[in-house]
Amino acid sequence: MKYQFKGHDEPFSLAKEEMAELLTDGRLLVNNKIAHASKVGDTWWIHYDGHTFQFELVEPGSSATDDDSNLSAPMPGKVLELYVEVGQVVEEGQTLMILEAMKMEHKIVAGKAGTVTSINFQAGDQVEQGNELLEIEEDE
Amino acid sequence: MTISKVLIANRGEIACRILRACREAGLATVAIYAQNDTGTIFTELADEAFLLEGDSIASTYLDQSQILEIARISGADAIHPGFGFLSERADFAQAVIDAGIQWVGPSPEAISKMGDKMTARITMRDAGVPVIPGEEIEETEEQAALMAIEQASHRVGYPLLLKASSGGGGKGMRSVDDPSQLESAALGARREAIAAFGDGRVYVERLLTGSKHVEIQVLADRHGRTIHLAERECSVQRRHQKVFEEAPCATMTDEIREAMGQAAVAAAEAVKYEGAGTVEFLLAPNGEFFFLEMNTRIQVEHPVTEMITGVDIVREQLRIAAGEPMSCPELSIRGHAIEVRLYAEDAQNNFLPAIGPLSIFKAPEGPGIRLDTGVRQGDEVTPNYDPMLAKLIVWAPNRTEALEKMRRALDEFVVLGCTTNIRFLRELCDQQEVIDGTTDTTTIDRIWPNGWTPSVTEQQKQSALVVAATAESLGLGKTKLQVSAEQNGPVSPFQIISRRFP
Repeated sequence: MKYQFKGHDEPFSLAKEEMAELLTDGRLLVNNKIAHASKVGDTWWIHYDGHTFQFELVEPGSSATDDDSNLSAPMPGKVLELYVEVGQVVEEGQTLMILEAMKMEHKIVAGKAGTVTSINFQAGDQVEQGNELLEIEEDE
Repeated sequence: MTISKVLIANRGEIACRILRACREAGLATVAIYAQNDTGTIFTELADEAFLLEGDSIASTYLDQSQILEIARISGADAIHPGFGFLSERADFAQAVIDAGIQWVGPSPEAISKMGDKMTARITMRDAGVPVIPGEEIEETEEQAALMAIEQASHRVGYPLLLKASSGGGGKGMRSVDDPSQLESAALGARREAIAAFGDGRVYVERLLTGSKHVEIQVLADRHGRTIHLAERECSVQRRHQKVFEEAPCATMTDEIREAMGQAAVAAAEAVKYEGAGTVEFLLAPNGEFFFLEMNTRIQVEHPVTEMITGVDIVREQLRIAAGEPMSCPELSIRGHAIEVRLYAEDAQNNFLPAIGPLSIFKAPEGPGIRLDTGVRQGDEVTPNYDPMLAKLIVWAPNRTEALEKMRRALDEFVVLGCTTNIRFLRELCDQQEVIDGTTDTTTIDRIWPNGWTPSVTEQQKQSALVVAATAESLGLGKTKLQVSAEQNGPVSPFQIISRRFP
C-alpha cells in the first residue's frame, strides 16, 4: 500500500508485515508503544510517544506545493487595520494588515516584495479562514 | 444576607469550577450561555441554564441588563462573575448590588481603585506597599528636561528605563545601564517621542531585569479578617500571557514571603477589600519586590494555591459573600503544585490560536493530578473565545517530583483534531531554568529567541507515519469522522466536522 502525504516527496509505502497492530479499542500499537489516531477531513492526526503529528493525504500524483504568495486568513476574524493600498510597492516582511481573532491581534506580512494588486477586505470586515485577504504581484 | 441561588456570569472552564463549588455548598445554580456554547459542559452542570440572546460577546456575556434580567427571572440572589468578562467592571458590580443581589467579589469602589493604574499606584504607595520607583518628567524644554531626568535618575536608581509619557509600542523607550549613557539615551528617547507622539515628556522608571512575576493570593471577609495564602510564581509567559504557574515560588525565602504577604494584606486593607483577590509583584533577584497591580477577582491560576494550602478559594468566596467568616485556618504550605495552561494554539507558529474539533480529548489521570476544563471530546474549538482549553494541575510532596509528575501527565495527554501547545509545555518542563526554578519573565524569549520547534526524532516520525498509513488502510477514518456539508455561503477551506462517537 502506498500513501502520499502532503509535504512528502515520495509516497509512503507500507508492507503488510510492517503495519501497526490494531487494538480492540481502535488504538494502534507500534514499536511497543500505543498510538492514537483520528481522521479529520483528509488529515490523519496521530499521537505517538508524547508527540502529535498531522499527515494530510493527497491524491497520488497531484502536486501539493506551498504557495508563498498566499495571503489568506489563517483563521476567522476581523480586519482591524489595513496599512497598504492598491498599487503600493511593499517589501518582504512588511506588515500589510492586522487581523483580530480569539481576542489576539495577528500581523499579516508580505511573504515577498512586490506590488499590491488587490485588496479584498477593509478595516472592520469579518473574514473566514482561508479567505484571500490581498494579492501581491512580484516585481519583474 | 445569606445566599441560596447563584448566577454564574461566565462560561467554560471557570463556570464549571464555580458551578461545582456551588453544588458542593448546597447552593442552587443558574448558568447563562450564548448560542455557540449550547451543549457545553457548564450548561449541564447548572440547575438552570438560560440562553443569552445576541451573537457577539458584547451582546451576550457582556450584556449587563440581559444578565440582570435573567437573575431576576430565575430568582438568583447572588452573581459570581468568574474572571474576564464583567468580573472587574465596577459599574456591573454596582448594578448587581442596586438590584438587591449579592455580588461575589469586592466592592465597586475597590474594583475602580485598583482598575486605574495610577490610582492603584498612589493608593499602594500611601499604604506603604513598595511600587516600582519611577518619576514623571514634566519639563518640556530640552535642557530643563535633561537636568530633571539626571536628578530623577539618582532617586530611581540604575538600570533604568526611559519611556515616552504618551507612548507605547516601544517608541521613545531606552534602557540605560549606567549614568554615562544617560544623556544620549534621554536625547534619543525625547527625539523619538516628539516624532511619534508630538510630546517629548518622558517617564523614568527602574528597569527590573531578571525579575520574577510573583503574586500573593489574599482573602478578606466581613468579620475583619484579611489573610494571604502565600505566593504563586507565574514568570513563564508567552505574549505576556502566563503558561506555567507554580506554588510556592522556587526561590522564595520565609522573610520575603512574610514581607510580601504583609504588603499584600496592607494593599487589600487599603481598599477595604472583600473576597478573593491577587496582588501581583515583580520580585528582583536581590529580593526587592514592587507592586505591579491587583486583580480584584478569582484568578486563572488559583488552583496551585488551593493545592498547597488546602483552601478551596471559590468555596471561601461563596462563604464570604454570604456574610460568613472565612473558614481557613492559619496558613500552612504543603508540597508543591504546578499548573500549565493548555491552549489551542500553534506553538511552532508564534503561538497562533488554532481551531478544530476535539476528535480525541483524553486527559491524564492518577494521584496528584487535577484537570480544570470546560471542554470534552467532541467539542469544537471555535475562534469565538479565549483559546485556553484546560488547566492541568499537579501536586507532589516537592518541586522535583511535581515536575516529574507534570512531564508524565503531559505525555499521557492526547488531544487530536486541533493543534495544542501540549508538546511545547512538555519540553518547557525539560529546560534547565525551569528545573532550577530560576525562570523570569523573559525565559521563553531567551530559550527560544527564534521560536520553538519540537524535538522529534526521525524514528518517532516514521512510527507515526506507519500508524497513519495503517489506520488509513484499515479504514479507521471512515467509521468515526466525516466532513459535513453544513457550511453555508462562499466555499471556505475551514470545514465543520460532524462526529459520531461510541
